[in-house]
Amino acid sequence: MKVIAVIPALNEEKRIEVVVRGTQKFTDQVIVVDDGSTDSTAFVAEQSGATVVQHGENCGAGAATMTGIEAARRSGADVIVTLDADEQHDPHDIPALLQPIREGRADIVFANRFGRRNRIPLIRRFFNAIGNFVTLIATGKWVDDSQCGFKVFGPKAVKEVRIRMNGYEFCTELVRESVHHRWRSAEVPIKVIYSEYTLAKGQSFATGVKTALKILLRSFLR
Amino acid sequence: MTFTPYQIIAPLISVFALVYAWSLVMKQKKTIWEGALWTLFWAAIALIALVPEVLDYLTFTMGFKNRENALLITFLGILSFIVFYLIVRVEELEHRQTKIVRSVALREAGLGRNGRKHEECKNNGVAE
Repeated sequence: MKVIAVIPALNEEKRIEVVVRGTQKFTDQVIVVDDGSTDSTAFVAEQSGATVVQHGENCGAGAATMTGIEAARRSGADVIVTLDADEQHDPHDIPALLQPIREGRADIVFANRFGRRNRIPLIRRFFNAIGNFVTLIATGKWVDDSQCGFKVFGPKAVKEVRIRMNGYEFCTELVRESVHHRWRSAEVPIKVIYSEYTLAKGQSFATGVKTALKILLRSFLR
Repeated sequence: MTFTPYQIIAPLISVFALVYAWSLVMKQKKTIWEGALWTLFWAAIALIALVPEVLDYLTFTMGFKNRENALLITFLGILSFIVFYLIVRVEELEHRQTKIVRSVALREAGLGRNGRKHEECKNNGVAE
């Protein structure tokens, strides 16, 4: 089973090396999608041993993830792991996330930052609760941590997944995809590392509202 | 009981829209949940057309007291729809742009539709 990691990255030259090297220990290949960075993210990722796919323009996290998934498919991936480039996710959690796929119990595995005793700021918990609620309204499915970028796609999901949303709303779209294609899903608690940097880089309230509106609009229009 | 043309046309459009929405569900292009959301929406349109009295509560709570107000609200509704339509069009254009950026990125990484061939050509300095 060929496992390929997909890491969408935007201006992460200081962190991408650690993430790539950490991920390489648990996967067969690492693909970094540089989403129009203005720093040396692509160069550092390549030097660290990752396959780099570079967007000429910044298209958003959803678009970068889909580009990575497409690249992984064309590289012969059976299983795809997606994770953030900002060191928020610990690559040591990858084996646990792969377990339900290896055992044939799931087609998609959602990481759950709230399943463990992680030090997550209250405001972040609140935004995630809203994200989960909007996802429930738009898709009819409850996922404990629907907005986490750390996921594993099994062979069926690798074949069928198609993300059309460009921004952060792609997380909700993936839940919708799991309902649409009737993928079996599993949730695995993970460790999460919040630093001042990751907190500052996260979604603002305005982005959150925009994302929620886009999700609801899209689910009506489709 | 006599029906106005609006009371005939609106429910008919609702029925067509519902049949279309559920045909998309059958073709697996929409989820059952989305089909249910659409059913609620179009059922409300048909209900308001057939039994306008259901809006009395809304009229009471929102304070429409005369036709001018109702006209203003209707035009606001139409303008909202136009904005909504424009948002959708902009999103479609964004989506097309993303597709182009993606295909160029994959080709440049040697992962185009004919990935290996492209890579070999690039290595050998041969134009495809």
